[in-house]
Amino acid sequence: MKGFTFHKPRSLKEALAMLKEADGKAKIMAGGTDLLGAMKDGIMQPERLINLQEIPDLANIRPDNDRLHLGALVSLHEITVHPSIQKRFGILAQAAQEVGSPQLRNMGTLGGNLCQRPRCWYYRGDFVCLKRGGDQCFAVTGQNKYHAVIEGGPCFIVHPSDTAPALLAMDASVRIAGPDGEKIAALEKFFMTPRDNVTRENILEPDQILTEIMVPLPREGSRGIYLKARERRCWDFALASVALLLNIDDGICQEIRLVLGGIAPIPFRASKAEEVLKGKPIEIELIDQACRMALSGARPLASNAYKLELTQALIKQALLTLSNK
Amino acid sequence: MKEKEGNKKGKQLSSVSRREFIKGLGAGALGTAALSGGIIALKEAEAHPAEESLEEGIKIPLRLKINGIRYKVEVEPRYTLVDVIRDQLQLTGTKKACDRGECGACTVLLDGKPVYSCMTLAITAAGRDIMTIEGLASGEELHPIQQAFLENDAFQCGFCTSGQIMAVNGLLKQNLNPSREEARNALAGNICRCGTYTRILEATLDASQRLRKGGGNRG
Amino acid sequence: MLPNASGKVVVTVGRRVKTRVEEEGKIEEINVELPHEDLPPWEEKNLVWVGKGIPRVDGFEKCTGKAKYTYDIHLPGMLYGKILRCPHPHARLIRLDTSKAQRLSGVKAILSQENAPPIPWYNDSFLFDRTLRCVGEEVAAVAAVDEYIARDALDMIEAEYESLPFVVDPEEALRPGAPPVRPGGNLLDGKPIIYSRGEIEQGFDEADLIIEENFSTQVQAHACMETHGSVVNWEGDHLTIWESTQGVSDVREGMAKALGIPISKVRVIKDFMGGGFGSKTREGKYTVIAALLAKMTGRPVKLMLDRKEEFYATGHRPSSLQYVKAGVKKDGSLTAIYLRSIGACGAYETPLFPSKFSMIDALARPYRELYHCPNVKTEVYPVYNNIPVHTAQRAPGHVEGTFALEQVMDQAAHQLGMDPIALRMKNYALKDQVEDFPYTRKALDQCYQKGAEKIQWEKRNKKPGEKKALICEGIGMAGQIWGGGGGPPAYAIIKINQDGTANLLTGTQDIGTGSKTVFVQIASEELGISPKDITITLGDTETTPYAPRSSGSRTVPSVGPAVRSAAADAKRQLLDLAGSILDSKAEDLAIREGQIYLKNNPTRKIPLKEITQKMGNNMIMGVGSRGPNPPQAAINVFGAQFAHVAVNTATGEVRVLKVVSIHDAGRVINSMTLNNQIEGGIVQGMGYGLMEEVIWDKGTGIMLTPNLHAYKLPTMLDIPEVVPGVAEGSDPANNIGAKGIGEPPKIPTAPAIANAIYNAIGVRLKELPITPDKVLRALKI
Repeated sequence: MKGFTFHKPRSLKEALAMLKEADGKAKIMAGGTDLLGAMKDGIMQPERLINLQEIPDLANIRPDNDRLHLGALVSLHEITVHPSIQKRFGILAQAAQEVGSPQLRNMGTLGGNLCQRPRCWYYRGDFVCLKRGGDQCFAVTGQNKYHAVIEGGPCFIVHPSDTAPALLAMDASVRIAGPDGEKIAALEKFFMTPRDNVTRENILEPDQILTEIMVPLPREGSRGIYLKARERRCWDFALASVALLLNIDDGICQEIRLVLGGIAPIPFRASKAEEVLKGKPIEIELIDQACRMALSGARPLASNAYKLELTQALIKQALLTLSNK
Repeated sequence: MKEKEGNKKGKQLSSVSRREFIKGLGAGALGTAALSGGIIALKEAEAHPAEESLEEGIKIPLRLKINGIRYKVEVEPRYTLVDVIRDQLQLTGTKKACDRGECGACTVLLDGKPVYSCMTLAITAAGRDIMTIEGLASGEELHPIQQAFLENDAFQCGFCTSGQIMAVNGLLKQNLNPSREEARNALAGNICRCGTYTRILEATLDASQRLRKGGGNRG
Repeated sequence: MLPNASGKVVVTVGRRVKTRVEEEGKIEEINVELPHEDLPPWEEKNLVWVGKGIPRVDGFEKCTGKAKYTYDIHLPGMLYGKILRCPHPHARLIRLDTSKAQRLSGVKAILSQENAPPIPWYNDSFLFDRTLRCVGEEVAAVAAVDEYIARDALDMIEAEYESLPFVVDPEEALRPGAPPVRPGGNLLDGKPIIYSRGEIEQGFDEADLIIEENFSTQVQAHACMETHGSVVNWEGDHLTIWESTQGVSDVREGMAKALGIPISKVRVIKDFMGGGFGSKTREGKYTVIAALLAKMTGRPVKLMLDRKEEFYATGHRPSSLQYVKAGVKKDGSLTAIYLRSIGACGAYETPLFPSKFSMIDALARPYRELYHCPNVKTEVYPVYNNIPVHTAQRAPGHVEGTFALEQVMDQAAHQLGMDPIALRMKNYALKDQVEDFPYTRKALDQCYQKGAEKIQWEKRNKKPGEKKALICEGIGMAGQIWGGGGGPPAYAIIKINQDGTANLLTGTQDIGTGSKTVFVQIASEELGISPKDITITLGDTETTPYAPRSSGSRTVPSVGPAVRSAAADAKRQLLDLAGSILDSKAEDLAIREGQIYLKNNPTRKIPLKEITQKMGNNMIMGVGSRGPNPPQAAINVFGAQFAHVAVNTATGEVRVLKVVSIHDAGRVINSMTLNNQIEGGIVQGMGYGLMEEVIWDKGTGIMLTPNLHAYKLPTMLDIPEVVPGVAEGSDPANNIGAKGIGEPPKIPTAPAIANAIYNAIGVRLKELPITPDKVLRALKI
């Protein structure tokens, strides 16, 4: 790891000032579990590191009447054990539980989990790929069993976050602070595909900080589930994952939000599958149809077509579980 | 180096942090907010006026509280906690095996919670309670977790054992009576290449029983 | 009998005989002296310490963090070494500029081809070579005052390379016109390694059923938790090396040779080490580099590889492609077995196992030995490719070969409508068919039977995949054969102290298996002294007599008999002394639990301590050596494993629920450490079967998995319930009746899992590792 100057702001205001002053040469650190690894691997070599860990307000969990406010520095572990999150925002607690390992959940933060860089083994390896300023995506002709089956190109990373699909399924939004003040963005608008910008995965500018995640309280009777398929049971990223929020009333699907992880460069909202079910009675035939529609338009690479079946299987399992079929 | 200064103050080490620091000063943009916020490198810089040489870096004095003992060390911002406790303080019970937060050999407790010390900057551990394997036994008397590991043969080569025991200790501080499933989940962040997991799990449940009989985990 | 300069004890009175010794399947005939006494087997009913599951004698150190590994050695003034490695799969180094790095404050030395002696390494290469044949080859090294500076210095070295054509895929490497990895063609020695007995074609003609299948196995990393490395210190011309190694004597000899210094000037110490699994059998380039850097700077140097280097530069289990054809009659008897296999050497030959001993050929051994079959032919193509060199890994070859062979047997049983165990019993080999020797003991039948009971074999699906469900369960089994008989030379010394305690010295090492404890138990048993009163010293070439490297599951059966022999020698002297003091004949006396008593009247006894106190400074020193193996006999470890799995047919995820593992390893010395070995072997075997894989990018020769998240080791959440066990009884092969258990449990794990998956879903998985993508693909076909 190259040397850097270490900054320890005590307030968000200070942090923003430091970030602006650094003019793109600084990185902010939350839990550090992704950033430090990337720095050790030489993927990032910031001249300055701005540590957010001692800004007290950023680690608060604050429920209000209609939503939950989660500071970006709330640890993933806290999310998994917080009683009201477990009770009212179960998908998030489940997803957070699937992240990394116990130690990483103690260290890692929710904001960090949303902003982590991809785990593509070319990006993380000794390759000057598109994302690192090169001129090719090595996965296209290389080893691509873990890569994107949809929304890929020119770069084929998958978004590695477990909490992002869960939060997206709950229609969360994020608060972003920058030199010109704050703004709130729907999480759905937060992530960027490689087509939008191949060097980053979200809309955060170098002088901005993600400060808070806001999750609306699901309507009464809604149920949620997060399912993740993986090669080992701990410290593994999703081959595919499914976050589903479902509200069934009188046997009719009133609300459905279905978000897929591990298959696209962004947490992928399967709107076509949602359309199949919304406003209709949940029946096996429709579930099967929704599964088929979920990834329509997918274009798998040489070694990742299995993700299509795998994702469909997870969606089906999620729908069957939540509709008590 | 207990309770005394470690290396001589100041300048050693790499070009990079020094250069960054000088650049930072040269830019002249460190506003008052930043100053009061405590840019550690800047404080150090005031004590050691900038030199032209790019070959030397800056070390920052740091106090670490480990196993209840206060240590003074000098670190560069990039030093990880595991490197400082091993190389400077020679508390070598904690191991570094992957250096990426992927194996758990470096697990220590930070304010009572298991963390990977290879992914923790030493500078961020100042003022917090750090516990390493060396803090568990009292003299020759093993802590019940250690006794359970010994009697259940919960290791082979032993290289991951310190980290495993600290993960168990972290668990049994939070939950003195974990179920088998809870224990499995809590200990999944520690790799044992020799494959002694079943024994580690049995030792954990055994230790839990011993601790409950003995009135809690004071480790 | 005194240790000579090489550390080997010269037995001045013994007769010398020739004996057959096996290591990792490599069989050699060596000349060995006979021990002074041919000890009869222990009497089972009288055993006090042998067989007990006592906690390890070094458990305290391991539980408290006090155990000192090479990685923990810290010497005053110590520097840190780091190695610059080649980023290209095949290249010529044309320029190296270290001047910037030299000027970095804190850098004390830089070593490269420019200033290092041309020490030969691998085939015809050197410690630092201008031609580099894989990513990760050593280009230069630095020593600096700390690790951070050493890394900074590496970044400041400028190296320029001329790229050469390269080939990563082993099949491509064999094709005509493939880029040459090295002069002389990409096939090792220019020809396949062929073994043949009987008439293979005639065998197939006699068969009622022919099974033909292709299998592939991946590269597996050792992934030792403690990376390879050394701490090196020169005191004048005396070199001390702390090395994370499985063989202190091998490192000593290798370093003396590499540096051109006398063996007597080199001391190698390994107290604790964090895993080897076959990869730490000799000195590494890093050891030599550390010694040279230490010489240049006049300061101790610590050079530990980082995790990425550990993946690149310490060897791996080679990949294989296996085409298998087997013929069976309707009654199940095998008529012919044919194997054609391609294995990837990497850029070099692995030094310990050259040419016909190539570890690439090791996978053919189970085909030749596991079953009775008159017509067998194996044809193995070891091929050079531009990846790092492979090496031995826990049961080399047998793990890969058994994966394929045992699935073929399972398939044959299925197609013949036979119970897979019955098919195996039908082809039960009563002798070693390669050497034409009888086995000293083979209790594989007992292993089949015991294992079948414990897994409830009758509960398997009668028809594979007969139950259609989201989660399908199945039970499968596989057997194994391994060497593990051990042999000479190995030596031990026991010193009896005035207070009745003893020191046991032997030049072996405990690589985590528990051998320290096992040897103390053996000495205790023979001497009649409690284990707590015996202190063992090993892993130090200066203070102990020679014992072999810990490989091939040989440590207990090689060194254990020497320890017993030393203890018997000490006991004889003790009883002589006791006899003279007590005015009785030595042969009328015995020792048990610290008491010397009259054999014919055990109530007449005196504490051992009272006798030893009278010794004053006279010494009792028992010396023991490992005797020869029985002539004209094969010594092997056998075993059977049974797996119970659950397959999610929608996601392709496989969970191993339970593994029953029963082995014939002869006498058990410590039941707890033995079970631990079995359990650990199964965890590694399951990792191999389901998730571990080193993957290269074929377009660049760069490894995609050089870290512990992309390379997936099993965690606490992945492992099955394990039921370990052994076949009763001891093996007459040596004076302690024990064989090795380190490697065997790993061998049949992956095929047992694959056969269980077949039993669950009726689909055969022939490529390792069996990840969800492969299961889903197989289910689709």
